[in-house]
Amino acid sequence: MSAVLLNTVDIDAKLQNEPPQEILRHALEQFDNIALSFSGAEDVVLIDMATQIRPDIEVFCLDTGRLHAETYQFIERVREHYGLNIDLLSPDGNAVRKLVKAKGLYSFYKDNHQECCSIRKITPLKSKLLEVDAWVTGQRKDQSPGTRAAIPVIQDDRLFARPGETLTKFNPLANWTSRQVWDYIRAYDVPYNALHDQGYLSIGCEPCTRPVGPNQHEREGRWWWEEATKKECGLHGSNVRK
Amino acid sequence: MKITLVKKILADGSPCKKCGDVLQKLEDGGHMSRIDEVLVADERDPESAGLQLAKTLNVHRAPFFVVDREGAEPEVHTVFLKFVKEVLEQEADEGAEAMEILADNPDLDFI
Repeated sequence: MSAVLLNTVDIDAKLQNEPPQEILRHALEQFDNIALSFSGAEDVVLIDMATQIRPDIEVFCLDTGRLHAETYQFIERVREHYGLNIDLLSPDGNAVRKLVKAKGLYSFYKDNHQECCSIRKITPLKSKLLEVDAWVTGQRKDQSPGTRAAIPVIQDDRLFARPGETLTKFNPLANWTSRQVWDYIRAYDVPYNALHDQGYLSIGCEPCTRPVGPNQHEREGRWWWEEATKKECGLHGSNVRK
Repeated sequence: MKITLVKKILADGSPCKKCGDVLQKLEDGGHMSRIDEVLVADERDPESAGLQLAKTLNVHRAPFFVVDREGAEPEVHTVFLKFVKEVLEQEADEGAEAMEILADNPDLDFI
């Protein structure tokens, strides 16, 4: 195993049981050129934690062009509340134009969400990550109900690293539950997206996000028409009482 | 430079579909000759060469490519189109590459 990889795996083993604040502290101490990815949802807790360690932490947000009005308002509120310059990344206009011209504004309802997301999110994300040495996400294990594997709190990000270089990815909330995130938000009076008070547990783009009902997993509020979601969240015959 | 491709055999003995697709694309593009070694990660056999290599390099997805250059750490490539662009130095469609990344990494849905 390479020295860099061994180091990351070793550090992950040590940090897995640490609270998010300590993981962030480690991340910010190790990297100057690091950026925090903000989805406009409950991952605002990371901004709250990170600004207490580095007040001018670099934050970026993927403005897909299809976000809810409430999300845009919330991003602005976060910018003002924490005094941050949030880097809003937009997709390539020509790529969006080509997709819409060929397939209309709601192709994802017929195909799946990947083509639209790849243009509006992944490609701008790729470009941004070429600029940094490390990044932080709000990814949590409980966001996907079918996932049993642990999510690393620190990992070698081979997907988005500059050719021949390394990129380190931190997931400080990996082992936190949604409950813990919301306990933090309420305890520390952290601003949050108004959509959460309307039943939205997970927030993405407007056409692909809906509120969920009692005891529904947050995943059912995203791309609910797709087979992958049905497989992850559907009832399994063996669990249904006959 | 040595390029190794690791392909997967599933637990039921069937070949991994994506591995088959990648192999076909390598053939169609005339790139197979640049692959120096093909290893199999056989889910039925934890000692299989491909699984051992995946474990050493902390890779959890197949197919993947390992590029060994003299004096450098092994490079692992899990995105085929990125590998085509960066290692084989062929043009690759940016949009298709982004779609491949998202398809293989659904956690990016929540970014």
